[in-house]
Amino acid sequence: MKTSPFAILKGTAAALTLWALTATAPAARAETVRITAAYYSAATGPYFEKMASEFHKANPGIDVKVEVVNWDNLLQKLQTDISGGTNADISIIGTRWLLDFVKDGQAEPLDGYMSPAFTDRFIGAFLKPGEIGGKTYGLPIAASARAMYYNKDLLAKAGVASAPATWDEVVADAEKLKSQGIAGFGIQGKEIETDVYWYYALWTHGGDVVGSNGKAAFASPAGVKALTLYRSLIDKGLTQDGVTSYSRENLQDLFKQGRVAMMITAPFLINQIAKEAPNLNYGIAPVPKATQNATYAVTDSVVLFKNSKVKQAAWKFLDFLFTKDPRVEFTKGEGFLPTTKAEAADPYFTGNERLQTFVSLLPNAHFAPTVTGWEDTAKAVSDAVQSVYVGKAQPEPALKAAADQADQALGK
Amino acid sequence: MSRKTVRRSLWCWLALSPIVVLVLFPFAVMLSTAVKPIDEVLAYPPRWLPTRLAWENFADMWQAADFGTALLNSLVISILATFLAIAVALPAAYAMSRLPFRGRGLYRQFLLVTQMLSPILLVLGLFRMAAAIPLGDGTLVDTRLGVIIIYGAFNIAFAAWMLASYFATIPRDLEEAAWIDGCNRAGAVLRIFLPVAAPAIAVTAIVTFVASWNEFTVALTMLRDPSKLTLTLRVVNLVAGRYSVQWNQVMAATLLATLPVAVMFAVLQRWLVQGLTLGAVK
Amino acid sequence: MPWLLVLPSLVLAFAVIGYPLYEIMRLSVADVSRFGQVRGFVGWGNFSRMLADPVFVAALVRTLEWTVAVVGGTVLISMPVALVLQQDFWGRGLARTIVMLPWSVSLSMAAIVWLWSFDGNHGMVNTTLQSLGLLSGPVQWMALPQTAFPVEIAVGILVSIPFTVTIFLGGLSSIPGDIYEAAAIDGATRTQSFRLLTLPLMRGFLNIAIVLNVIYVFNSFPIIWVMTQGGPDNSTHILVTYLYELSFRLGRPGMAAAVSLAMLVIVFAFTMVYVRMQSREAA
Repeated sequence: MKTSPFAILKGTAAALTLWALTATAPAARAETVRITAAYYSAATGPYFEKMASEFHKANPGIDVKVEVVNWDNLLQKLQTDISGGTNADISIIGTRWLLDFVKDGQAEPLDGYMSPAFTDRFIGAFLKPGEIGGKTYGLPIAASARAMYYNKDLLAKAGVASAPATWDEVVADAEKLKSQGIAGFGIQGKEIETDVYWYYALWTHGGDVVGSNGKAAFASPAGVKALTLYRSLIDKGLTQDGVTSYSRENLQDLFKQGRVAMMITAPFLINQIAKEAPNLNYGIAPVPKATQNATYAVTDSVVLFKNSKVKQAAWKFLDFLFTKDPRVEFTKGEGFLPTTKAEAADPYFTGNERLQTFVSLLPNAHFAPTVTGWEDTAKAVSDAVQSVYVGKAQPEPALKAAADQADQALGK
Repeated sequence: MSRKTVRRSLWCWLALSPIVVLVLFPFAVMLSTAVKPIDEVLAYPPRWLPTRLAWENFADMWQAADFGTALLNSLVISILATFLAIAVALPAAYAMSRLPFRGRGLYRQFLLVTQMLSPILLVLGLFRMAAAIPLGDGTLVDTRLGVIIIYGAFNIAFAAWMLASYFATIPRDLEEAAWIDGCNRAGAVLRIFLPVAAPAIAVTAIVTFVASWNEFTVALTMLRDPSKLTLTLRVVNLVAGRYSVQWNQVMAATLLATLPVAVMFAVLQRWLVQGLTLGAVK
Repeated sequence: MPWLLVLPSLVLAFAVIGYPLYEIMRLSVADVSRFGQVRGFVGWGNFSRMLADPVFVAALVRTLEWTVAVVGGTVLISMPVALVLQQDFWGRGLARTIVMLPWSVSLSMAAIVWLWSFDGNHGMVNTTLQSLGLLSGPVQWMALPQTAFPVEIAVGILVSIPFTVTIFLGGLSSIPGDIYEAAAIDGATRTQSFRLLTLPLMRGFLNIAIVLNVIYVFNSFPIIWVMTQGGPDNSTHILVTYLYELSFRLGRPGMAAAVSLAMLVIVFAFTMVYVRMQSREAA
């Protein structure tokens, strides 16, 4: 009995090697369009697979291969892919990355492919962010805006009749909720969009992130007021405990469980609540205002790579994705806002009161500006607000320092 | 069993109890969450025991993560990478411990340097390299072979270093006695040296296997095709950058992903202990 | 002949590590776009920006704290654990398996499980500590660096123990048992024989454990990234998490390459100094 486990393993190794080599089957030679899609929800993968097969049925000469990548890893994947020359033909990207794409000569301008009728399919405001230097490089595949979700039962329990419309009312209502032992206004304090959660207060106080001169403008009196407001909410115990341990998702979970009365987030929470907390009695109201109404609107773009060898086929698939039925199915499944007129006219959206609240906010929407250094600005602001939330810094100096940092990257 | 042994056993277990608790705690958490229905996962305050055992989490997760395929991929990649690393490191370690050669110190240092870089920063370069090497219809990108080679290469340094230090503790007399008995050098190595070194090889192989099994960054960068993804990749993907996380499925996945390695440890453990105590080292 | 045996490992390691290393050097002196395109040569620009960056300096200091705390804690705990596991006692195989168990969980998965365990609302850590009366109310562990970073260090230690104990067990088993018997006959106490026999004979293994652990821990990414992503306010960043953020979040691969070269220099210097120190002591 001298057989070691290794002798046994050794035997199987040869077979395994063979399998590893042969199982890398060569791709089919038909025209293949590869698309890198961002993961939005469990529905994303199945949706694109379904679209790929429907498209293939109508266009037997074209195969569509879908790869779904998590947002967390998307930039890394694109970076390695592009530098290795193995990128897909089409990719979904955050619109904030578009400028770098164009600068690097990665994105194909789409104007030559877009007929007037195609352009007319879109709701104009959503096409704008995808334009750089007068040319369209990205099409709005996903769009969302932000509004305030409020728990009707919790507010009623504290004797609040309707959703607060101003920040002063938010403070007053949160005080009442606190006396009932309920966290009033939830604040997001970590990971992606920590900065955005504070922009809601900044914009509604009349401030802006980047000024018309292209420099950081958030360290303004409005900014200081907005940050002081959040800080005082935390100090008075009117938010959930430990805000810097809450990402947007954590906060949404808290809301679903009825453990925070108010929070601001995107329309896709509606779908999640319907699935995970169908009994939650909630409403949706505009972002509370101080001096003006505002919301954040954001789009994700789909781009065509310049080095694609199958641009015509790829465009055909894009054209198909932006027809009515595929659009409605996508937007409905993911809980986004319609970006084309045809889907906006679909009864699902016109008859949906909750979604209409979001749509009605769009005229006052701020889009993330397409400038270099936006990511650095977001990071600087997130760090600054976090340092204030944890009590390490005061609003004004923290914002000033962040503005200096942002200015080093903005427009460079 | 004598009373002395009983008392010693009690003391040993008592001494180990803090670490045993800390080690088992996350497993308890995994198990507890993995069998909870979704509405109880986010219940507050949380409780250890679910009101009913939601075994469907495992089935849902198995499908959501394509667990079976991923398991097979992880096994194949880890086993082959381990073979590659050991096959290359074994002769090198023998040379390092038995055959003084010029530049040995330099070689040792080279090995150490290769250990120092985090794969995270190397991924870009690794990817470009893989994209430049043709294989069949495409390149090394999106092949299990590419991942195997990279894992193997990254583990050489550790394996060679580890083996060499174990080899150094094996008395030379053993082999020299065999030479006198008429064995040539290769024969002595095969018949005397390797069996004695088996425990060391086993330990090294386990470390290499586990390192490959658990690796994330390289796999993430190299593999595309859903049918080629590894287990770690699949499980982390259930959490990272998602708009909502199904914690019960995630915990079911970590639990199942951990089991094969845990079982391997338990099985090889016996063999290892035996090898270590019965080996000719004494 | 010796070179022939060494050659395959040399070739393989050199190819797989040498080329990416060359890439890093190239990128570190270049203006690199978010998507990895080299736009031009900037000389030392990336390095001077790195040195002027307060987050880099803070992360550098924190990396030293992290490495010393995790490696120190690991070695201090692993040695007694290995000594106990070396004893002949009932259930030793089981005990060894349990101690090795964290190893079977991938680092990223372990970090996920611990993050979930330490969750302020749904985590079992709060529940357990509260039921033991050690906490009066739930703690948001990841909200503040004062609690988040120590938790990360503790997790770092826990996942490093199996590997270290294995090395130590291997070392202990290579010590012939009869020298202890001889020492006992000569009237040595247990402490004496540990200090005078075990420790010196274990030196080589202790060295491997320290050097390898320092390298691993210094480069350890998943725990901190999964649990806090370096936040809040950059206050839990170590160099490797910061360079990941630079490269794949902030889109500055050039500066990330500079940081990684700085890291390489640091580990390299440490290892050389340590190895030299050990060989001098041994001589």
